[in-house]
Amino acid sequence: MKKIYALSILLIALIMALPEIANAIPAFSRKHGFNCNMCHTAYPKLNDFGQRFRDNGYQIPGQEGKEKSIFATPPPLALRVLPGHTVYRSQCCTTAGFNIYGLDLLAAGVFHENVSFLFIYTPRIDTPAADFTGPDNGNNPSQLAVIESANVVFSNIVQNKFNLRIGRFEPSYLPISGKRSYYIFSPYDVYDFSTPLNSFVLSENQLGMEATGHFKGGFKYGFGIINGNNGEPDNNTFKDFYFNVSKTFGRGDGQSAGQRLGAFLVYGWQPTDFTDAFLSPFGETNGKDNKPYYRLGAAASLNWYTLNILVLYMRGADDKALNPVKPTEDYTFDGGFAEVDWAVLHNNRLVLSLLYNWVNAPAFDSQKGSKAFSVLGRYYVGNWEAVNVALHLEYTRKKYNNCQLKEDLFATVLDFAF
Amino acid sequence: MNKRVFLLLLILCLSTSIVLVKDNIPKSTTLINVHIIGPNKIGPLPAVPVPVDNPQTAQKILLGKQLYFDTRLSIDNSESCASCHDPAMGWSDKGPTSKGVKSQVGPRRAPPVSNAAYFPLQFWDGRAETLEDQAIGPIANPKEMGNTHENMLKTLNSVPGYVEEFKLVFGKTPITVSQVALAIAAFERTVVTTDSLFDRYVKGDTQGSLSPLEQKGLEIFNGKGHCTACHWGANFSDGRFHNIGEKNKPPMEEDEGRYKVTKDKNDMRAFKTPTVRDASLRAPYMHNGQQKTLQDVVDLYNEGGGHDDSDMDPLMVPLGLSNGEIEALIAFMKVGLKSLNEEAADVKPIPQSELPK
Repeated sequence: MKKIYALSILLIALIMALPEIANAIPAFSRKHGFNCNMCHTAYPKLNDFGQRFRDNGYQIPGQEGKEKSIFATPPPLALRVLPGHTVYRSQCCTTAGFNIYGLDLLAAGVFHENVSFLFIYTPRIDTPAADFTGPDNGNNPSQLAVIESANVVFSNIVQNKFNLRIGRFEPSYLPISGKRSYYIFSPYDVYDFSTPLNSFVLSENQLGMEATGHFKGGFKYGFGIINGNNGEPDNNTFKDFYFNVSKTFGRGDGQSAGQRLGAFLVYGWQPTDFTDAFLSPFGETNGKDNKPYYRLGAAASLNWYTLNILVLYMRGADDKALNPVKPTEDYTFDGGFAEVDWAVLHNNRLVLSLLYNWVNAPAFDSQKGSKAFSVLGRYYVGNWEAVNVALHLEYTRKKYNNCQLKEDLFATVLDFAF
Repeated sequence: MNKRVFLLLLILCLSTSIVLVKDNIPKSTTLINVHIIGPNKIGPLPAVPVPVDNPQTAQKILLGKQLYFDTRLSIDNSESCASCHDPAMGWSDKGPTSKGVKSQVGPRRAPPVSNAAYFPLQFWDGRAETLEDQAIGPIANPKEMGNTHENMLKTLNSVPGYVEEFKLVFGKTPITVSQVALAIAAFERTVVTTDSLFDRYVKGDTQGSLSPLEQKGLEIFNGKGHCTACHWGANFSDGRFHNIGEKNKPPMEEDEGRYKVTKDKNDMRAFKTPTVRDASLRAPYMHNGQQKTLQDVVDLYNEGGGHDDSDMDPLMVPLGLSNGEIEALIAFMKVGLKSLNEEAADVKPIPQSELPK
C-alpha cells in the first residue's frame, strides 16, 4: 500500500512538473476568422506567420492599426483543456487513471494600435482520487492556481526593432519555446532543472520587462530584466538579466521555414543570507550576500519542408555559495535536447515527433541527472474554420542517474482549445 | 466546479453571444469602406455597398452599361471599358498587361470589374477612392482609351439618344463627366459574382457544393496556405496593398505600385490584393500578369514570395505545402470559387448597333 501511495505521489509530482501549457489562443482565430494553422504548424507550435504575429504584439505583421481592437470583437477569451488517461510505470509498480492534465483560461488582444496584452490563468485542479479528496487530503493538486501570464506589449516603438513587454511573460531567452512544445508530459528537462539553493527555473514565466526586436536580415534580439524568481515575490533586491540573439538564414523565421541559429545568456544573483530580512507588504524580501549564477546556451532550428529539427545545448552554473551539496565547488550542469517534428497530411493534420532529453548534473550530485526518450503522435480533428481538437499519444522512457530509476509514461490525451 | 468560476464562465458566454448577435446585424448598404477594419471571415458576399449620392436605378444602370460597352468613349472609337474588362474574360483581359488605343501596351494588368464595388480603393495602386473616380480614369489615360474628358463629352452630347437618356436619369443636360462616372459606376455595382460552390457550402448546402478535395483546399486556404491573411472577407480580399516580391522583369519598367500614390516607403512595390472569386477565369495573374497559371501563383507563395525584395511584406513566409495540398488549393480556387450566377451580372455585351444614336 505504501508503495502505491508513494507511486501516486511520484505521478502527481510528475504531473505537477508539466510545462505550463498555454499558448494556443483561439481568441485570435475567432477574431480574424482564421484556421488555427494560420499561426500554428499544428497547435501549440507556432509557424513563421504565428511567430511574426506574436513578435508584433498579436497584430498581423504590417497591418498595425488596421484590425479590430478588443472593443470591437467578442470578449477575447479562450480555453485549453487536456483530459486524458495515463499509465505510469516504475520499477516496482504501475498506476493508471484518467485525469485532467491542464486547464488554461486565456485572454489576449489588441487594446490600441501597437498596445496589446496577454493574460493566462491556470485554475487549481485537485487530482481526483479514490477518496475524492486527492492524495494528502487534497494538498497535492495536479495544477496550481497561477496567473501564468499577465503582460502588456508595446510594439513597434522604434519600427519593429524595439518592442517592450512588461509583466509576467515567457521570456525570449529560450530560443525554442517550451510553452509551445507538442510534448505535454515530457518537457525539455534541461529547462526544468533546478539547482539546490537557486529558485530560478528556466522554464518558468518570469516577472519583469523585456525588449525585443527583429530586423530584415533575419536577425532578432531579446533583452530582459526580471526578478529571476519565477512568478514568486523576489527574494533580493538584485535584478537578473538575459540576452538572446538569433539569426535566420533563408526566408522564414526558423519556426517552419528558414534555418535559425541562436544563443542566450541568463545572468542573475540569488541571496545566501536572509538574516534580518525585511518583508515587504508584497512578499518580497531583501535577502543578502547575493551570489551569481548563469545559464548559457545555443540552439538551432532547421527546416526542410514540414520537417523541423530542433537542437539545444546549454550549460548552467551557480556560485559555490549556492551549493550546499559541495560548498567548495560551483554547481555546474549541462544538458539539452534534440527533437524531430514532422507534420504530415493535409493542413498538417498529423504530427509525429521524437525527442531526446539529457541533463548531466555535477559528479557530487549526479543522481539528479537524467536521460529521456519520447515519442508522440498528434492527430487533429477539425474543418476549414478550425482544427482545434487533437488526439495526443505520448510515450516517454526516462532514466534517472540515481538508483538507476527508470520510469515509463504512456499518455492518451484529448487536447482541445476553443 | 467552483460556483464562482461557473458563474463567471456563464456571464462570459452570455456576453460573447450578445456581442456575436450584434455583430451579425446586416451592415448598412450605404457604406463604401467595408474593409476599413479587419480581417473578417470569408463567406457569402453581402449586399453591394452603394454610396448615398449615387443610388441605383434601373435607367441609370442601363445607361452605365451602354457607356461601358461603347467604343465612342475612346479617342479613335476603338476601345470601350469592356475591351480590357471583358465579361468573357472574367471582367479582365487576356493580358499579360492590357492593350489600349493604337495597340499601346500598358504597364499593368486590367483589374477585374467584377466585385470591384466591394473595394475601398480602386486600381492596383488604390489611386481612386471611389468606383466613380475609377470609371472615368481610363478614358483620359493616353495608353488606355486615349481620350480627353472634354472630347468625350463633345461626342456624347452629339448623340441624341444619349442626351435623352442622361436627361431621363439625371434630369438635366448637357452631359457632364460626373454623370458619366455615376452611370458607369452604377452599372459596375451590378457586376457581382457570387453563388459559388463555396457560398453554397458555407450556407450549409452539403449537396452539390464543394467536393472533398475542394473542402481540403478551403481548409488550406484558410490555414496552412495563409491565403486569408490577405484574401479575407466576403470578397476574398482585404482591399489593402502588399509587396509579394513580384517585381517587373525587363523589359518592363520598374513599377513602384502604391508608393507612387502615398510616398510611404512601406508601400514600395505594393499592389492591391485582388479578389480570388472567379480567379480561374482571369489568367495570367498578378498586377503584371507574369504568373501564367494558378499553379504558378501558388508556387510563388509556397516559396515565400517572388524576388528577394527588402521591402517585401512581412506576411510573406514559405508555406511548406505538399503537392497534394497545392492540388487541393487550386481545385478550391478553380472550381469552388467560380461564380454560378452569371446571369445576375447581366454579362451580355451590348452590340454597337444597339447603342444610343
